[in-house]
Amino acid sequence: MVSRLAIILAVGLFAATAAKADQGITDTEILLGEVEPLTGPPALLGVAYNVGTKMAVAEANAAGGVAGRKLRVIVEDDGYVAARTIQSVKKLIDVDKVFALTSLSGSNGVAALPVVEKAGIPTMASIAPITPLYQPPRKNVFVVGQSYEEGMYQLVRYLARKHPGAKWGILTQNDDYGVALRAGFSHALKDGGINVVFEGEYKKGQQDFSSDILRARQAGTEVFMAGGVLAETVAMVREFEKLNSKPAIGMFWPGRVPVTLKLMGPAGEGIYAVDYVETDDSAAVKAFVERAKALVSEGEVKAINRYSLASYASTKVLIEAMRRCAKTLTWACTIAELEKTKGFETAVMGPISFGPGVRFSSQAVRIMRGDAASLTYKVTD
Amino acid sequence: MQYLVDLVVSGIAVGAIYGLVAMGFALIYKATGLVNFAQGEMAMVIAYIAWTIAGTVPGHPWLVVGGALVAALLLGLVIERLIMRPMLGEPVFATVMVTIALAVILRSLVLLVWDPYPHALDIGVGRDVIHFGGTGVRSAQVAVMATLLATCAVMWAFFRFSRIGKAMRAVAADERTAQLMGISAARIHAVAWVGSSLIAGIAGIFFALIYDVSPNLYHVGLKAFPATILGGLDSVLGSGLSGVVLGVAENLAGGYLAPSLKEITGFAVIIAVLMVRPFGLFGEREIERV
Repeated sequence: MVSRLAIILAVGLFAATAAKADQGITDTEILLGEVEPLTGPPALLGVAYNVGTKMAVAEANAAGGVAGRKLRVIVEDDGYVAARTIQSVKKLIDVDKVFALTSLSGSNGVAALPVVEKAGIPTMASIAPITPLYQPPRKNVFVVGQSYEEGMYQLVRYLARKHPGAKWGILTQNDDYGVALRAGFSHALKDGGINVVFEGEYKKGQQDFSSDILRARQAGTEVFMAGGVLAETVAMVREFEKLNSKPAIGMFWPGRVPVTLKLMGPAGEGIYAVDYVETDDSAAVKAFVERAKALVSEGEVKAINRYSLASYASTKVLIEAMRRCAKTLTWACTIAELEKTKGFETAVMGPISFGPGVRFSSQAVRIMRGDAASLTYKVTD
Repeated sequence: MQYLVDLVVSGIAVGAIYGLVAMGFALIYKATGLVNFAQGEMAMVIAYIAWTIAGTVPGHPWLVVGGALVAALLLGLVIERLIMRPMLGEPVFATVMVTIALAVILRSLVLLVWDPYPHALDIGVGRDVIHFGGTGVRSAQVAVMATLLATCAVMWAFFRFSRIGKAMRAVAADERTAQLMGISAARIHAVAWVGSSLIAGIAGIFFALIYDVSPNLYHVGLKAFPATILGGLDSVLGSGLSGVVLGVAENLAGGYLAPSLKEITGFAVIIAVLMVRPFGLFGEREIERV
């Protein structure tokens, strides 16, 4: 009698677990959820990111979906506000009952990690690959990309080789983004050969950089790391132009979008950038844009930038893991298959790999230079 | 020495923008007793309109400026007639809250009508660099300094010689008595809103020329508000001058102390000045603060 009761309880428990893991799946459809900033200035990355997800989903559906089921994405706008990120994630999991999350917004997604971890839902968090998203690794959270620290380290080492003995300046934002960039810069300093003559921080939202750049020039800066997001980097570069000062300037991937070069004008010619997704003039990105014309709206094609590529690759990895589970599609299976991802090719960035206890793909970065005439970035030697 | 000159010149240039926006704050306060917290947003909307005109009819800078200023005039009129006039006689706190709501609406409007991306306002002039000795400035920066001076002169003449200017001073001194003397307070308020919107529009266009047009442009209102407090909430000319003082102070702090101090300098100056002159450098002693 007792053993029969135990069997019934065990079956019941298994059934309950299985039912929970299978949320968001019907006979014909699989629901995915995505949180990102679609309003406010950060929409520059959120809107573009969403286009990449739509592309990956549209291509998967065109190829028959996952085990015959079509994919559909529910998108939530958090305006890049952490409280709204948490609210949106809870809604997607508890109300919409999506099967997986394709985005956890940007660095503010860290605030939603406890919710996601507790739920156990397969989650891709690839807009802003900051360390707290993957360190310590969480069973169900996967990050495609490269850390700001490593990107900065590689850019600084490259420029140090190109400009031996130069005087360096760096200006970064006073937030987690700036902290990450400074950490990468400090790491590169330990390797030696870098003489820093100007180091400054600016308050997020600052628009006038005249005194900062005057100070950098006064210190004799020959290589300058512009640690702005987008408009800030543009303002710094244009201040140097105004002062008729021409240091080698390096910037970071959040600003590596065509609009930055357009705003900089001739001053953006030859600016150094670092990124882990393909450049705009590569065959892969040209093909991506061509495919987009058939899959998304004209306005969405115009919104394509590097974040679309990051999203596309990240969502492709998730869909591939779901496909490998096929008929036995559950959270546990999807997470297990994501973990087995090895050298997965997406064409828009290097091969993607995860592993046991490894939830960060650590993409290889490349150094690029801005071409003001074509408003594109080209890979350097 | 060249470094000091560069810092001061750049400070005057950015301070001239703060000064213009601050004059708009003061003009409305002087006429209505209100602080308009949507001043920066009004500058932003006009800058976006200028950018739209520039994209529609490229190569016509005067058409862009003229069209944007007409839009500023209409914006001021619409806000006064549809939003602020119905609030006449309501508690000041409620009316100030309405301006905060207006600010939020204008910010959202920009994202609805335009987009979240930064854009360059290209009207063919203003972005070129002029060198005075060893100091490089953009022609738009020279123009904004000259415009601030001209606006100060116009406002001085307006309050000193024009009938409406004198009426505005009368309303500012005692609205009830002014009304008993036959002055229409509603008309004076409308003139103040239109004037303030025009000045905000000019500041917005210059900001867009020197920096860019983006949904962050409204921050210039937050930077300019301390200038209004410093100059005196009811002192239009004092607010203009204080904008320049703050711009220079910011640059000197950023240039000689630490870049991170730049953004708090304006507020530090305000605390120091208000401890000595609580009504601002040029304000009237009896001012009631909000």
